[in-house]
Amino acid sequence: MQRAILHVDMDAFYASVEQRDDPALRGKPVIVGGHPTRGVVLAASYEVRPFGVHSAMPMSRAVKQAPHAIVVRPRFSAYAEASEQVFEIFSSVTPLVEPLSLDEAFLDVTGSVTLFGTPAAIARALRERIAREVRLPASAGIAEVKFAAKIASDLAKPNGQREVPVGQTREFLAPLPVGRLWGVGPKTEETLKAHGLGTIGDVAAREVDWLVHRLGDGGRHLWQLANGLDDREVVPDRDAKSVGSEDTFEEDLEGKAALEVHLHSQALRVARRLRRAGVKTRVVQLKLKYADFSAITRRTTLETPTDDGQVLYRAAVALLNRAPLDQKVRLTGVSAQDLGGAEQLPLFDEGRGRTQRLNAALDKIADRFGRGAVVTADLAEESAPDDEDDEARRQAGGSRSPGNGSPFDR
Amino acid sequence: MEFRIATDELRKALYRAQGIVERKTTMPILANVLVNAGKSGVTVTAFDLDIGIVSDHPAEVTKQGAVTVSAKYVFDIVQNLPEQFVTLKKLPNNYVEISSGSAHFKIVGMAAEEFPKLPKEENAPLVKVAGPVLLEMIRKTAFAISSDETRYILNGVYFEPREGGKVRMVATDGHRLALVERELAGDFKLKGGVIIPRKGLYELKRLLDEAPDAEVQLGFAESSALFKKPGLTMVMRLIDGQFPEYQRVIPKESDKQALIPKTQFLDALKRIALLSAEKSNAVRVGLSENVLRITSNNPDLGEAKDDVAVTYKGGEITVGFNARYLIDVLSAVESDQVAFELGDEHSPGVLHQPGDRSYTAVVMPMRV
Repeated sequence: MQRAILHVDMDAFYASVEQRDDPALRGKPVIVGGHPTRGVVLAASYEVRPFGVHSAMPMSRAVKQAPHAIVVRPRFSAYAEASEQVFEIFSSVTPLVEPLSLDEAFLDVTGSVTLFGTPAAIARALRERIAREVRLPASAGIAEVKFAAKIASDLAKPNGQREVPVGQTREFLAPLPVGRLWGVGPKTEETLKAHGLGTIGDVAAREVDWLVHRLGDGGRHLWQLANGLDDREVVPDRDAKSVGSEDTFEEDLEGKAALEVHLHSQALRVARRLRRAGVKTRVVQLKLKYADFSAITRRTTLETPTDDGQVLYRAAVALLNRAPLDQKVRLTGVSAQDLGGAEQLPLFDEGRGRTQRLNAALDKIADRFGRGAVVTADLAEESAPDDEDDEARRQAGGSRSPGNGSPFDR
Repeated sequence: MEFRIATDELRKALYRAQGIVERKTTMPILANVLVNAGKSGVTVTAFDLDIGIVSDHPAEVTKQGAVTVSAKYVFDIVQNLPEQFVTLKKLPNNYVEISSGSAHFKIVGMAAEEFPKLPKEENAPLVKVAGPVLLEMIRKTAFAISSDETRYILNGVYFEPREGGKVRMVATDGHRLALVERELAGDFKLKGGVIIPRKGLYELKRLLDEAPDAEVQLGFAESSALFKKPGLTMVMRLIDGQFPEYQRVIPKESDKQALIPKTQFLDALKRIALLSAEKSNAVRVGLSENVLRITSNNPDLGEAKDDVAVTYKGGEITVGFNARYLIDVLSAVESDQVAFELGDEHSPGVLHQPGDRSYTAVVMPMRV
């Protein structure tokens, strides 16, 4: 059956959130990044891109290339909140939403066409809703296969959409450089170019055996992609492998007590996302990155699957207790692995229903008044990570008042 | 202490002790058995502070006395002795000499006085019970006992006398439950049910398996159970606590009831569970008119399905289950057909023999 797949990607996501929340940043070159000397660029607004600044570039180079840019410290909680809103809008048109990260996803809208109109109309409606309700720009690609949809959204940026007409995937791909093919890294690209294959069309025109001979089994896959054959399905969040939340600190932290607060906040964030996706986890993983950039992960398996933040937090703290802490820590992360596994239901309730109702109530409050409306006491303290984010934000020249704690912030 | 005993007889006594003695214990003497030579023979006692067995054996006693020796090592020795008879003799400092033919062992023992005292055989009214029936009841429930140490109330089987000389045994691990009701004529004089711990139950099963038709007696005192068969007494401490209200979780009869050939059901479950997602044993069990369909899928491996012809007229329904839980029950059922009742996908499935609920198993679904 012919499929209709959307790839929706937020434009310069973190930077757009900053511009949305601070009018002074609108129309200005904005770089979202960590420490000016040791961090990397997390997002660059479109105004700064002509200067060659792009994400993942070292901050030191970025500020050299664009000295006039306004550098903003990241506020992950604001991005997570925007992301949740965006994904909620996605799920209003189809249950088949496969998140690739906080700010992009594949949507299979094949079955939504009778309800919501053509795939292009659905894409337009989604982008309009995101613009209206979340006040952020998004781009979309529409195609019969995932791979082409992703390229199309990329070509449509910023704030646009592009449709690959039905039956023309091969023609659409043909003129594009081979580097656009999924799975083609610099080395493969070199190999292909050395044989005169500069475009995807060149690859498509080759005998498949020729590619298999040169590149092994991967060659067959490239040939299929080049010919617009990509039967991978959109795998909804239910089947996602993990949900995680991590933060790099402004300054390296020392001691368990300082880290526990962050783990708590991260565990609660992960749990909220689990509940939103309607999945539970049995495997909790703790990640620590030390001052010397070495990193460890530790994991534990719970007796029964959970989507409760306190359970995740207790598991994370138990892991922390067993982790070496002989140097300062620059990052902690809590993630839920092995999601969506079958959950054995209990014969006897034993209070589980109460926790469920409590979490459902907290989720409702958060949906209505923002995630800062109800927080646990340890997170309400000054050193809470969400506040820290705001603190950093203000230092970076913003004027937005710290929003956590006030239910009427939004 | 000095006596001569048939090697087989001593081997039997020590074999009985193996399941009881504690090897990893802070009290080293609990790894030992107490060997007591009296006028009429020898008793061998094993005790882990919760369960104790005293086993009587004929022997030619030349000198009365007692000592304790390692249950494991002496058992290993006795299994490898050359002759049909063996002599045990206590030497100074609790050494024990074991001699059989030309083989001699000198074993380090510990003083009999240090061996903890078993609870006195209180005035438990003993009831003569049919070994095979008791064995059947254990076999049909023991698999559902919880092994989660934090839920110690569920670490045993609930033994509940009912009207008319019947007894119910119920076990649950919080996910599934097995209930069997059989006649065990006699009055146990119990006010309510008691919880027999898993380890004691398995020892009981082992002793019954030795000679299922032997005359056995079972009784209960305040906090312990007493089991006797010729030449053997077992006492065990019961689990102290309130067993959950199991009746509440057994659903009323459902109109979604299928009659299923047991062996085919069992075999299909084993096959299809091979492809269930990582160790979860999760399968989907679907009923539609006269067809039972079992499916599973594993994101890494693929998927599987199998159909079994059944008698079923209720509406279509599919429920996820841990195949292991269903397999455990079906393996304990003797009848050719089994009745399987479903409610909805969040309600428990019920298994029993067609038209007979005296053995009923309740299995909670999995959200697959």
